[in-house]
Amino acid sequence: MLQQVIALAFIAIFIWRLSLQKKKKQIGNNEFVLWLVFWLMGALAIIFIRSLDKILVNLGFSGSGINFLLYLAVISLFYLVFKLRLKISKLEKDLTDLVREITLTK
Amino acid sequence: MKTICVIPAYNEDRRLAGVIAKVRPLVDAVVVVDDGSKKKIEGLAELAGVFVLRHPINRGQGAALQTGSDYALKLGADIIIHFDADDQFAAAEIPEVIAPLLSQEADVVFGSRFLGKKSNIPKIKKYIVMPLGRFANRLWGVRTSDPQSGFRAYTRKVAQSFRIENDRMAHCSEILIKLSQAGWRIQEIPITVTYHEYGQKLGGGFRILKDLFLQKIRQ
Repeated sequence: MLQQVIALAFIAIFIWRLSLQKKKKQIGNNEFVLWLVFWLMGALAIIFIRSLDKILVNLGFSGSGINFLLYLAVISLFYLVFKLRLKISKLEKDLTDLVREITLTK
Repeated sequence: MKTICVIPAYNEDRRLAGVIAKVRPLVDAVVVVDDGSKKKIEGLAELAGVFVLRHPINRGQGAALQTGSDYALKLGADIIIHFDADDQFAAAEIPEVIAPLLSQEADVVFGSRFLGKKSNIPKIKKYIVMPLGRFANRLWGVRTSDPQSGFRAYTRKVAQSFRIENDRMAHCSEILIKLSQAGWRIQEIPITVTYHEYGQKLGGGFRILKDLFLQKIRQ
């Protein structure tokens, strides 16, 4: 119970930070909605962790709901890091093209 | 045949002037690409046949070589030579390296540190880094004796056929891989290398592998 409260408190902080970023126009509408839905789903999964346990058992998984959430989080993080790495490398390429254009047209 | 030598330079103000003095008489023009050095390269632009370009920010040796090669093509180069600014290559070997291109026996020539001529290659580099590099290159079908040759020359046609996409040190392998896979006639010529500094370390080798892997994914 205490662990659930702590996790929900963290999610509340993340949502508060998210709304601040939105207010400062650091993120767009779509990104705000995407992250809001993501954190709200996380909160729901934590609130209904017992029901999640039952669903997982019915699906044939032996682990508890919290373990499942943890695995899901790690996989999502890996995916996000990978996507970010590709995005950065695309930006690096664009930057080099721009630097080259400036150098050659001077 | 118009021969242009491209020299990328990053914080190499100590040795660069000496390198240019040795290279310039052997080619029709020299293109120096100052890759955003902390101290701006000055005083070279006044020399006849020496063109100094400057990247406003540092983008890496691969990026500087591509910029220099683009400029050399604009100047009408028939043969483009890549040469280092740190005085590790012997300028006197330029005629030997471009000879197969002039006689049209090859489209691309790579200088090799492993074909007989004596170079003071550090032991770890020679016995660990290079064999690993050679092994990695084999995975991409490259069979040259030198897995990281920075002294190379190719024809205008070859230069127009590909772009260097790896801005950092993976460009050496990238060039070898792309030109080998494209089926150009490749020759290796023995060269002498004098190491003033250690250069690429084992960690750098792993970074090269990572960059090549990411490039593969991007394609």
